[in-house]
Amino acid sequence: MSIEEAARFVAAAYAVILAVLILYFIITARRVNVLKRDMELLEQEVERRQPGGASEG
Amino acid sequence: MSSGRQFMAILRKDLIRELRTREMLISMILFVLLAMVIFHYAFTVKEGADLTFFTGGMLWVTFIFAMLLGLNRSFAQEKDERCLDGLLLCPVDRVTIFLAKTAGNLIFLLIIQVVAVPIFTLFFVQRSYAGDLLQFLIVLLLADLGICALGTLLATISMNTRSRDLLLPIIFLPLIVPVLIAATGATTLIFAEGASFGSLLARVLFLLGFDAVFMVAAYGTYDFAIGE
Amino acid sequence: MKKLISAPSLFMGAGVFLVVGLLLGFWWAPVDASSMGFSQKIFYYHAPIAETALVAFGISFVAAILYLRSQDLKWDRLGFVCVRLGLLFSVMVMITGMIWGKASWDTWWAWEPRLTTFLLVCFLYIAYWVLRSVVEEEQRRATYAAVFAIIAFIDVPITFFATRFLPEGLHPVVITTGDTGMEGSMFASFFISMIGMTLLLVALIRSELVVESLKDRVADLKHKIGG
Repeated sequence: MSIEEAARFVAAAYAVILAVLILYFIITARRVNVLKRDMELLEQEVERRQPGGASEG
Repeated sequence: MSSGRQFMAILRKDLIRELRTREMLISMILFVLLAMVIFHYAFTVKEGADLTFFTGGMLWVTFIFAMLLGLNRSFAQEKDERCLDGLLLCPVDRVTIFLAKTAGNLIFLLIIQVVAVPIFTLFFVQRSYAGDLLQFLIVLLLADLGICALGTLLATISMNTRSRDLLLPIIFLPLIVPVLIAATGATTLIFAEGASFGSLLARVLFLLGFDAVFMVAAYGTYDFAIGE
Repeated sequence: MKKLISAPSLFMGAGVFLVVGLLLGFWWAPVDASSMGFSQKIFYYHAPIAETALVAFGISFVAAILYLRSQDLKWDRLGFVCVRLGLLFSVMVMITGMIWGKASWDTWWAWEPRLTTFLLVCFLYIAYWVLRSVVEEEQRRATYAAVFAIIAFIDVPITFFATRFLPEGLHPVVITTGDTGMEGSMFASFFISMIGMTLLLVALIRSELVVESLKDRVADLKHKIGG
Protein backbone atom coordinates (compact mmCIF):
# COMPACT_ATOMS: atom_id res chain seq x y z
CA MET A 1 0.00 0.00 0.00
CA SER A 2 1.41 3.36 -0.97
CA ILE A 3 1.87 6.12 1.51
CA GLU A 4 -0.93 8.16 -0.05
CA GLU A 5 -3.46 5.37 0.43
CA ALA A 6 -2.25 4.63 3.93
CA ALA A 7 -2.33 8.30 4.81
CA ARG A 8 -5.95 8.43 3.75
CA PHE A 9 -6.84 5.67 6.18
CA VAL A 10 -4.87 7.26 8.97
CA ALA A 11 -6.55 10.59 8.31
CA ALA A 12 -9.94 8.86 8.33
CA ALA A 13 -9.22 7.31 11.70
CA TYR A 14 -8.24 10.62 13.27
CA ALA A 15 -11.16 12.34 11.59
CA VAL A 16 -13.52 9.84 13.20
CA ILE A 17 -12.04 10.52 16.63
CA LEU A 18 -12.32 14.26 16.12
CA ALA A 19 -15.86 13.98 14.80
CA VAL A 20 -16.99 11.89 17.77
CA LEU A 21 -15.48 14.33 20.25
CA ILE A 22 -16.96 17.35 18.51
CA LEU A 23 -20.33 15.65 18.41
CA TYR A 24 -20.06 14.89 22.10
CA PHE A 25 -19.29 18.51 22.88
CA ILE A 26 -22.19 19.78 20.80
CA ILE A 27 -24.62 17.38 22.44
CA THR A 28 -23.35 18.20 25.92
CA ALA A 29 -23.53 21.93 25.27
CA ARG A 30 -27.11 21.50 24.18
CA ARG A 31 -27.94 19.46 27.28
CA VAL A 32 -26.37 22.05 29.52
CA ASN A 33 -28.23 24.91 27.82
CA VAL A 34 -31.56 23.18 28.20
CA LEU A 35 -30.86 22.44 31.84
CA LYS A 36 -29.68 25.96 32.57
CA ARG A 37 -32.77 27.42 30.96
CA ASP A 38 -35.01 25.07 32.93
CA MET A 39 -33.17 25.99 36.08
CA GLU A 40 -33.63 29.72 35.52
CA LEU A 41 -37.32 29.33 34.77
CA LEU A 42 -37.83 27.13 37.81
CA GLU A 43 -35.86 29.43 40.07
CA GLN A 44 -38.00 32.34 38.95
CA GLU A 45 -41.08 30.26 39.64
CA VAL A 46 -39.88 29.32 43.11
CA GLU A 47 -39.17 32.97 43.95
CA ARG A 48 -42.60 33.97 42.78
CA ARG A 49 -44.22 31.49 45.08
CA GLN A 50 -42.19 32.61 48.09
CA PRO A 51 -43.24 35.35 50.57
CA GLY A 52 -42.33 37.75 47.74
CA GLY A 53 -45.62 36.66 46.20
CA ALA A 54 -47.61 38.07 49.08
CA SER A 55 -49.12 40.56 46.71
CA GLU A 56 -50.92 37.72 44.98
CA GLY A 57 -52.54 36.75 48.28
CA MET B 1 -28.74 -24.97 62.19
CA SER B 2 -25.26 -25.09 60.76
CA SER B 3 -24.56 -23.76 57.29
CA GLY B 4 -23.96 -27.25 55.99
CA ARG B 5 -27.37 -28.41 57.07
CA GLN B 6 -29.02 -25.22 55.84
CA PHE B 7 -27.34 -25.82 52.49
CA MET B 8 -28.68 -29.35 52.32
CA ALA B 9 -32.12 -28.24 53.36
CA ILE B 10 -32.42 -25.59 50.67
CA LEU B 11 -30.92 -27.89 48.07
CA ARG B 12 -33.26 -30.68 48.97
CA LYS B 13 -36.23 -28.36 48.81
CA ASP B 14 -35.34 -27.20 45.31
CA LEU B 15 -34.62 -30.70 44.06
CA ILE B 16 -37.76 -32.23 45.50
CA ARG B 17 -39.88 -29.42 44.16
CA GLU B 18 -38.62 -29.93 40.65
CA LEU B 19 -38.43 -33.69 40.71
CA ARG B 20 -42.03 -33.87 41.79
CA THR B 21 -43.39 -32.25 38.66
CA ARG B 22 -40.37 -32.65 36.42
CA GLU B 23 -41.88 -29.91 34.25
CA MET B 24 -38.77 -27.85 33.92
CA LEU B 25 -36.47 -30.79 33.39
CA ILE B 26 -38.58 -32.35 30.70
CA SER B 27 -38.97 -29.04 28.88
CA MET B 28 -35.26 -28.37 29.02
CA ILE B 29 -34.40 -31.85 27.76
CA LEU B 30 -36.85 -31.52 24.92
CA PHE B 31 -35.44 -28.12 24.09
CA VAL B 32 -31.91 -29.49 23.97
CA LEU B 33 -32.86 -32.40 21.74
CA LEU B 34 -34.85 -30.19 19.41
CA ALA B 35 -31.95 -27.75 19.22
CA MET B 36 -29.69 -30.56 18.06
CA VAL B 37 -32.04 -31.48 15.27
CA ILE B 38 -32.36 -27.87 14.28
CA PHE B 39 -28.60 -27.51 14.24
CA HIS B 40 -28.35 -30.37 11.82
CA TYR B 41 -30.73 -28.75 9.40
CA ALA B 42 -29.26 -25.33 9.97
CA PHE B 43 -25.70 -26.34 9.18
CA THR B 44 -25.91 -29.21 6.73
CA VAL B 45 -26.09 -27.25 3.55
CA LYS B 46 -24.00 -29.52 1.42
CA GLU B 47 -24.46 -33.24 0.98
CA GLY B 48 -22.32 -35.03 3.50
CA ALA B 49 -21.13 -31.85 5.18
CA ASP B 50 -18.76 -32.54 8.03
CA LEU B 51 -19.84 -30.85 11.22
CA THR B 52 -17.01 -32.21 13.32
CA PHE B 53 -15.50 -28.80 13.99
CA PHE B 54 -18.86 -27.45 15.02
CA THR B 55 -19.60 -30.10 17.60
CA GLY B 56 -18.18 -28.36 20.66
CA GLY B 57 -19.93 -25.16 19.74
CA MET B 58 -23.30 -26.78 19.12
CA LEU B 59 -23.15 -28.64 22.37
CA TRP B 60 -22.30 -25.69 24.57
CA VAL B 61 -24.55 -23.18 22.87
CA THR B 62 -27.41 -25.59 23.45
CA PHE B 63 -26.60 -26.06 27.12
CA ILE B 64 -26.16 -22.36 27.74
CA PHE B 65 -29.50 -21.48 26.19
CA ALA B 66 -31.20 -24.34 27.98
CA MET B 67 -29.79 -23.02 31.25
CA LEU B 68 -31.15 -19.57 30.50
CA LEU B 69 -34.60 -21.08 30.08
CA GLY B 70 -34.26 -23.10 33.23
CA LEU B 71 -32.97 -20.24 35.35
CA ASN B 72 -35.74 -17.97 34.21
CA ARG B 73 -38.30 -20.58 34.99
CA SER B 74 -37.08 -21.61 38.42
CA PHE B 75 -36.46 -18.10 39.69
CA ALA B 76 -39.72 -16.78 38.29
CA GLN B 77 -41.50 -19.57 40.11
CA GLU B 78 -39.71 -18.74 43.33
CA LYS B 79 -40.57 -15.12 43.03
CA ASP B 80 -44.20 -15.72 42.23
CA GLU B 81 -44.61 -18.13 45.07
CA ARG B 82 -42.63 -15.81 47.33
CA CYS B 83 -40.40 -18.63 48.45
CA LEU B 84 -37.39 -16.38 48.44
CA ASP B 85 -39.03 -13.88 50.75
CA GLY B 86 -39.81 -16.62 53.20
CA LEU B 87 -36.29 -17.89 52.98
CA LEU B 88 -34.82 -14.47 53.61
CA LEU B 89 -36.77 -14.18 56.83
CA CYS B 90 -34.85 -17.08 58.26
CA PRO B 91 -31.39 -16.43 59.69
CA VAL B 92 -29.66 -18.03 56.75
CA ASP B 93 -26.34 -16.84 55.48
CA ARG B 94 -26.98 -15.36 52.06
CA VAL B 95 -23.99 -17.14 50.61
CA THR B 96 -25.44 -20.46 51.71
CA ILE B 97 -28.52 -19.68 49.66
CA PHE B 98 -26.30 -18.91 46.70
CA LEU B 99 -24.34 -22.14 47.03
CA ALA B 100 -27.45 -24.21 47.48
CA LYS B 101 -29.15 -22.70 44.46
CA THR B 102 -26.04 -23.06 42.34
CA ALA B 103 -25.73 -26.67 43.38
CA GLY B 104 -29.36 -27.26 42.53
CA ASN B 105 -28.99 -25.73 39.09
CA LEU B 106 -25.81 -27.70 38.55
CA ILE B 107 -27.59 -30.94 39.31
CA PHE B 108 -30.38 -30.08 36.91
CA LEU B 109 -27.87 -29.27 34.19
CA LEU B 110 -26.05 -32.55 34.80
CA ILE B 111 -29.29 -34.52 34.57
CA ILE B 112 -30.01 -32.90 31.24
CA GLN B 113 -26.50 -33.58 30.03
CA VAL B 114 -26.70 -37.24 30.99
CA VAL B 115 -29.57 -37.54 28.55
CA ALA B 116 -28.35 -35.14 25.92
CA VAL B 117 -24.69 -36.01 25.51
CA PRO B 118 -25.17 -39.62 24.39
CA ILE B 119 -27.77 -38.55 21.86
CA PHE B 120 -25.56 -35.74 20.67
CA THR B 121 -22.72 -38.20 20.27
CA LEU B 122 -24.98 -40.40 18.24
CA PHE B 123 -26.01 -37.55 15.97
CA PHE B 124 -22.78 -35.71 15.45
CA VAL B 125 -19.65 -37.38 16.73
CA GLN B 126 -17.91 -39.74 14.33
CA ARG B 127 -15.15 -41.13 16.45
CA SER B 128 -15.37 -42.79 19.80
CA TYR B 129 -13.97 -40.61 22.54
CA ALA B 130 -14.22 -43.21 25.25
CA GLY B 131 -10.50 -42.95 25.73
CA ASP B 132 -10.81 -39.27 26.44
CA LEU B 133 -13.89 -39.59 28.60
CA LEU B 134 -12.20 -38.37 31.75
CA GLN B 135 -10.97 -35.21 30.07
CA PHE B 136 -14.39 -34.63 28.61
CA LEU B 137 -16.09 -34.99 31.97
CA ILE B 138 -13.67 -32.63 33.66
CA VAL B 139 -14.23 -29.98 31.02
CA LEU B 140 -17.96 -30.57 31.28
CA LEU B 141 -18.02 -30.19 35.03
CA LEU B 142 -15.86 -27.07 35.14
CA ALA B 143 -17.81 -25.32 32.43
CA ASP B 144 -21.10 -26.35 34.07
CA LEU B 145 -19.96 -24.85 37.36
CA GLY B 146 -19.12 -21.54 35.72
CA ILE B 147 -22.43 -21.42 33.92
CA CYS B 148 -24.45 -22.28 37.01
CA ALA B 149 -22.62 -19.99 39.42
CA LEU B 150 -22.79 -16.99 37.13
CA GLY B 151 -26.31 -17.84 36.08
CA THR B 152 -27.58 -18.13 39.62
CA LEU B 153 -26.03 -14.82 40.64
CA LEU B 154 -27.38 -12.96 37.63
CA ALA B 155 -30.81 -14.57 37.73
CA THR B 156 -31.16 -13.42 41.32
CA ILE B 157 -30.70 -9.86 40.09
CA SER B 158 -32.72 -10.07 36.90
CA MET B 159 -35.71 -11.62 38.60
CA ASN B 160 -36.22 -8.47 40.64
CA THR B 161 -36.28 -6.16 37.68
CA ARG B 162 -39.01 -5.00 35.39
CA SER B 163 -38.19 -7.18 32.41
CA ARG B 164 -37.23 -10.31 34.36
CA ASP B 165 -36.60 -13.05 31.85
CA LEU B 166 -35.76 -10.72 28.99
CA LEU B 167 -32.90 -9.24 30.93
CA LEU B 168 -31.12 -12.43 31.89
CA PRO B 169 -29.71 -13.37 28.46
CA ILE B 170 -28.47 -9.82 27.94
CA ILE B 171 -26.48 -9.68 31.15
CA PHE B 172 -25.46 -13.33 31.14
CA LEU B 173 -24.22 -14.00 27.63
CA PRO B 174 -21.41 -11.43 27.41
CA LEU B 175 -20.03 -12.69 30.71
CA ILE B 176 -20.12 -16.36 29.77
CA VAL B 177 -18.27 -15.96 26.45
CA PRO B 178 -14.85 -16.84 27.91
CA VAL B 179 -16.28 -20.09 29.26
CA LEU B 180 -17.81 -20.75 25.89
CA ILE B 181 -14.50 -20.20 24.13
CA ALA B 182 -12.59 -22.50 26.44
CA ALA B 183 -15.23 -25.20 26.64
CA THR B 184 -16.00 -25.39 22.93
CA GLY B 185 -12.33 -25.44 22.07
CA ALA B 186 -11.67 -28.31 24.43
CA THR B 187 -14.80 -30.23 23.50
CA THR B 188 -14.26 -29.90 19.78
CA LEU B 189 -10.69 -31.06 20.22
CA ILE B 190 -11.87 -34.12 22.13
CA PHE B 191 -14.62 -34.96 19.64
CA ALA B 192 -12.59 -34.36 16.53
CA GLU B 193 -9.15 -35.72 17.21
CA GLY B 194 -8.93 -36.77 20.80
CA ALA B 195 -6.80 -34.86 23.23
CA SER B 196 -4.51 -35.69 26.06
CA PHE B 197 -4.48 -33.67 29.24
CA GLY B 198 -1.45 -31.84 28.02
CA SER B 199 -3.12 -30.18 25.08
CA LEU B 200 -6.19 -29.36 27.13
CA LEU B 201 -4.27 -28.04 30.10
CA ALA B 202 -4.52 -24.39 29.18
CA ARG B 203 -8.28 -24.53 28.72
CA VAL B 204 -8.88 -26.62 31.82
CA LEU B 205 -6.83 -24.29 33.97
CA PHE B 206 -8.64 -21.36 32.42
CA LEU B 207 -12.03 -22.83 33.30
CA LEU B 208 -10.79 -23.60 36.78
CA GLY B 209 -9.59 -20.04 37.17
CA PHE B 210 -12.84 -18.65 35.84
CA ASP B 211 -14.88 -20.71 38.27
CA ALA B 212 -12.68 -19.76 41.21
CA VAL B 213 -12.74 -16.05 40.40
CA PHE B 214 -16.49 -15.88 39.95
CA MET B 215 -17.28 -18.01 42.97
CA VAL B 216 -15.28 -15.52 45.01
CA ALA B 217 -16.99 -12.59 43.30
CA ALA B 218 -20.40 -14.13 43.97
CA TYR B 219 -19.43 -14.74 47.57
CA GLY B 220 -18.63 -11.07 47.96
CA THR B 221 -21.65 -9.70 46.18
CA TYR B 222 -24.51 -12.13 46.71
CA ASP B 223 -25.62 -10.38 49.87
CA PHE B 224 -26.29 -7.32 47.79
CA ALA B 225 -27.73 -9.16 44.83
CA ILE B 226 -30.36 -10.85 46.91
CA GLY B 227 -31.15 -7.52 48.46
CA GLU B 228 -32.76 -6.23 51.63
CA MET C 1 -5.02 24.38 42.48
CA LYS C 2 -8.76 24.39 42.01
CA LYS C 3 -8.31 26.58 38.98
CA LEU C 4 -5.83 24.10 37.60
CA ILE C 5 -8.14 21.14 37.72
CA SER C 6 -11.26 22.93 36.59
CA ALA C 7 -12.90 21.47 33.54
CA PRO C 8 -11.74 23.98 30.94
CA SER C 9 -8.10 23.78 31.97
CA LEU C 10 -8.28 20.00 31.99
CA PHE C 11 -9.57 20.04 28.46
CA MET C 12 -6.87 22.42 27.40
CA GLY C 13 -4.21 20.35 29.08
CA ALA C 14 -5.55 17.26 27.39
CA GLY C 15 -5.60 19.05 24.06
CA VAL C 16 -1.99 20.10 24.39
CA PHE C 17 -0.78 16.62 25.15
CA LEU C 18 -2.86 15.08 22.41
CA VAL C 19 -1.70 17.49 19.76
CA VAL C 20 1.93 17.21 20.79
CA GLY C 21 1.69 13.45 20.85
CA LEU C 22 0.14 13.44 17.43
CA LEU C 23 2.77 15.72 15.92
CA LEU C 24 5.58 13.72 17.45
CA GLY C 25 4.02 10.54 16.20
CA PHE C 26 3.84 11.79 12.69
CA TRP C 27 6.99 13.80 12.32
CA TRP C 28 9.46 12.45 14.82
CA ALA C 29 8.74 8.75 15.10
CA PRO C 30 9.85 6.70 12.12
CA VAL C 31 7.50 4.90 9.79
CA ASP C 32 6.90 1.40 11.00
CA ALA C 33 9.29 -1.14 9.55
CA SER C 34 6.77 -3.98 9.43
CA SER C 35 4.34 -4.59 6.63
CA MET C 36 1.92 -2.10 8.13
CA GLY C 37 4.06 0.85 7.24
CA PHE C 38 2.45 4.22 7.45
CA SER C 39 -0.92 2.99 8.68
CA GLN C 40 0.71 2.04 11.95
CA LYS C 41 0.46 5.71 12.83
CA ILE C 42 -3.17 5.11 13.73
CA PHE C 43 -1.75 3.40 16.77
CA TYR C 44 -0.79 6.68 18.41
CA TYR C 45 -4.41 7.40 19.22
CA HIS C 46 -5.95 3.94 18.93
CA ALA C 47 -3.94 2.44 21.79
CA PRO C 48 -4.35 5.38 24.21
CA ILE C 49 -8.09 5.37 23.57
CA ALA C 50 -8.17 1.66 24.40
CA GLU C 51 -6.19 2.21 27.58
CA THR C 52 -8.42 5.12 28.57
CA ALA C 53 -11.56 3.05 28.04
CA LEU C 54 -10.18 0.43 30.39
CA VAL C 55 -9.27 3.09 32.93
CA ALA C 56 -12.82 4.40 32.76
CA PHE C 57 -14.22 0.93 33.42
CA GLY C 58 -11.69 0.49 36.19
CA ILE C 59 -12.95 3.61 37.89
CA SER C 60 -16.50 2.28 37.59
CA PHE C 61 -15.31 -0.90 39.31
CA VAL C 62 -13.84 1.01 42.23
CA ALA C 63 -16.89 3.26 42.41
CA ALA C 64 -19.12 0.18 42.53
CA ILE C 65 -17.23 -1.24 45.48
CA LEU C 66 -17.32 2.11 47.24
CA TYR C 67 -21.04 2.37 46.68
CA LEU C 68 -21.72 -1.08 48.12
CA ARG C 69 -19.74 -0.19 51.19
CA SER C 70 -21.18 3.26 51.80
CA GLN C 71 -24.56 3.18 50.06
CA ASP C 72 -23.76 6.74 49.01
CA LEU C 73 -25.37 7.43 45.66
CA LYS C 74 -22.58 9.73 44.53
CA TRP C 75 -20.49 6.65 43.82
CA ASP C 76 -23.28 5.20 41.77
CA ARG C 77 -23.36 8.37 39.74
CA LEU C 78 -19.61 8.29 39.16
CA GLY C 79 -19.82 4.66 38.16
CA PHE C 80 -22.55 5.26 35.61
CA VAL C 81 -20.72 8.27 34.14
CA CYS C 82 -17.55 6.24 33.78
CA VAL C 83 -19.36 3.35 32.13
CA ARG C 84 -20.92 5.71 29.59
CA LEU C 85 -17.61 7.32 28.82
CA GLY C 86 -15.93 3.94 28.70
CA LEU C 87 -18.48 2.84 26.12
CA LEU C 88 -17.82 5.98 24.09
CA PHE C 89 -14.10 5.27 24.09
CA SER C 90 -14.65 1.58 23.38
CA VAL C 91 -16.70 2.40 20.30
CA MET C 92 -13.90 4.65 19.15
CA VAL C 93 -11.40 1.86 19.72
CA MET C 94 -13.44 -0.38 17.51
CA ILE C 95 -13.93 2.17 14.76
CA THR C 96 -10.25 3.09 14.62
CA GLY C 97 -9.38 -0.57 14.94
CA MET C 98 -11.55 -1.41 11.97
CA ILE C 99 -10.02 1.37 9.89
CA TRP C 100 -6.58 0.15 10.84
CA GLY C 101 -7.65 -3.36 9.95
CA LYS C 102 -8.83 -2.26 6.54
CA ALA C 103 -5.51 -0.54 5.98
CA SER C 104 -3.43 -3.48 7.18
CA TRP C 105 -5.33 -6.57 6.08
CA ASP C 106 -7.74 -5.14 3.55
CA THR C 107 -10.76 -6.25 5.51
CA TRP C 108 -13.11 -4.23 7.66
CA TRP C 109 -13.63 -6.97 10.20
CA ALA C 110 -11.52 -9.81 11.48
CA TRP C 111 -12.20 -12.00 14.45
CA GLU C 112 -8.95 -11.07 16.04
CA PRO C 113 -8.26 -10.54 19.75
CA ARG C 114 -8.37 -6.74 19.94
CA LEU C 115 -11.57 -6.14 18.04
CA THR C 116 -13.41 -9.06 19.59
CA THR C 117 -12.37 -8.19 23.12
CA PHE C 118 -13.67 -4.67 22.74
CA LEU C 119 -16.80 -5.88 21.01
CA LEU C 120 -17.53 -8.08 24.01
CA VAL C 121 -16.67 -5.26 26.39
CA CYS C 122 -19.18 -3.07 24.58
CA PHE C 123 -21.89 -5.70 24.94
CA LEU C 124 -20.99 -6.12 28.58
CA TYR C 125 -21.41 -2.51 29.49
CA ILE C 126 -24.42 -1.98 27.29
CA ALA C 127 -25.91 -4.78 29.37
CA TYR C 128 -25.03 -2.69 32.46
CA TRP C 129 -26.94 0.19 30.94
CA VAL C 130 -29.92 -2.02 30.14
CA LEU C 131 -29.88 -3.40 33.67
CA ARG C 132 -30.05 0.11 35.07
CA SER C 133 -32.95 1.01 32.83
CA VAL C 134 -35.21 -1.77 34.13
CA VAL C 135 -34.92 -1.05 37.82
CA GLU C 136 -36.98 1.85 39.05
CA GLU C 137 -35.99 2.35 42.63
CA GLU C 138 -32.82 4.36 43.10
CA GLN C 139 -30.97 2.42 45.79
CA ARG C 140 -31.82 -0.96 44.37
CA ARG C 141 -30.79 0.13 40.89
CA ALA C 142 -27.49 1.38 42.23
CA THR C 143 -26.95 -1.87 44.12
CA TYR C 144 -27.66 -4.12 41.15
CA ALA C 145 -25.60 -1.90 38.87
CA ALA C 146 -22.71 -2.02 41.31
CA VAL C 147 -22.81 -5.81 41.55
CA PHE C 148 -22.85 -6.07 37.78
CA ALA C 149 -20.11 -3.49 37.35
CA ILE C 150 -17.88 -5.52 39.64
CA ILE C 151 -18.58 -8.77 37.83
CA ALA C 152 -18.21 -7.10 34.44
CA PHE C 153 -14.86 -5.56 35.15
CA ILE C 154 -13.50 -8.84 36.47
CA ASP C 155 -14.63 -10.40 33.21
CA VAL C 156 -12.71 -7.90 31.06
CA PRO C 157 -9.21 -9.30 31.59
CA ILE C 158 -10.63 -12.81 31.51
CA THR C 159 -12.15 -12.10 28.10
CA PHE C 160 -8.90 -10.53 26.99
CA PHE C 161 -7.02 -13.71 27.82
CA ALA C 162 -9.67 -15.97 26.41
CA THR C 163 -9.54 -14.33 23.00
CA ARG C 164 -5.79 -14.17 22.95
CA PHE C 165 -4.50 -17.41 24.38
CA LEU C 166 -7.28 -19.78 23.64
CA PRO C 167 -7.52 -20.18 19.91
CA GLU C 168 -11.06 -20.96 18.98
CA GLY C 169 -11.53 -24.52 17.95
CA LEU C 170 -8.94 -26.39 15.95
CA HIS C 171 -8.22 -23.98 13.18
CA PRO C 172 -7.81 -20.58 14.67
CA VAL C 173 -7.40 -17.59 12.44
CA VAL C 174 -4.58 -15.78 14.11
CA ILE C 175 -3.74 -12.40 12.76
CA THR C 176 -0.84 -10.83 14.56
CA THR C 177 -1.20 -7.18 15.27
CA GLY C 178 2.43 -6.52 14.60
CA ASP C 179 2.95 -3.81 17.15
CA THR C 180 5.69 -5.52 19.05
CA GLY C 181 8.75 -3.73 20.25
CA MET C 182 8.60 0.00 19.85
CA GLU C 183 11.44 2.34 19.21
CA GLY C 184 12.11 5.06 21.75
CA SER C 185 10.59 7.84 19.70
CA MET C 186 7.53 5.75 18.97
CA PHE C 187 7.09 5.00 22.62
CA ALA C 188 7.50 8.62 23.63
CA SER C 189 4.88 9.79 21.16
CA PHE C 190 2.55 7.04 22.29
CA PHE C 191 3.13 7.88 25.93
CA ILE C 192 2.43 11.55 25.48
CA SER C 193 -0.77 10.78 23.62
CA MET C 194 -1.72 8.44 26.42
CA ILE C 195 -1.34 11.16 29.03
CA GLY C 196 -3.45 13.40 26.81
CA MET C 197 -6.22 10.82 26.47
CA THR C 198 -6.28 10.13 30.19
CA LEU C 199 -6.52 13.84 30.90
CA LEU C 200 -9.31 13.99 28.37
CA LEU C 201 -11.12 11.24 30.26
CA VAL C 202 -10.77 13.10 33.54
CA ALA C 203 -12.04 16.28 31.91
CA LEU C 204 -15.01 14.43 30.43
CA ILE C 205 -15.82 12.83 33.78
CA ARG C 206 -15.82 16.23 35.41
CA SER C 207 -18.03 17.73 32.76
CA GLU C 208 -20.47 14.82 32.96
CA LEU C 209 -20.65 15.12 36.74
CA VAL C 210 -21.41 18.81 36.40
CA VAL C 211 -24.25 18.00 34.01
CA GLU C 212 -25.55 15.39 36.43
CA SER C 213 -25.59 17.85 39.32
CA LEU C 214 -27.38 20.36 37.11
CA LYS C 215 -29.99 17.71 36.43
CA ASP C 216 -30.27 17.16 40.15
CA ARG C 217 -30.83 20.86 40.79
CA VAL C 218 -33.54 21.03 38.16
CA ALA C 219 -35.27 17.99 39.63
CA ASP C 220 -35.01 19.56 43.08
CA LEU C 221 -36.59 22.78 41.89
CA LYS C 222 -39.37 20.93 40.13
CA HIS C 223 -40.01 19.11 43.36
CA LYS C 224 -40.15 22.35 45.31
CA ILE C 225 -42.76 23.71 42.99
CA GLY C 226 -44.72 20.64 43.72
CA GLY C 227 -44.36 19.01 40.33
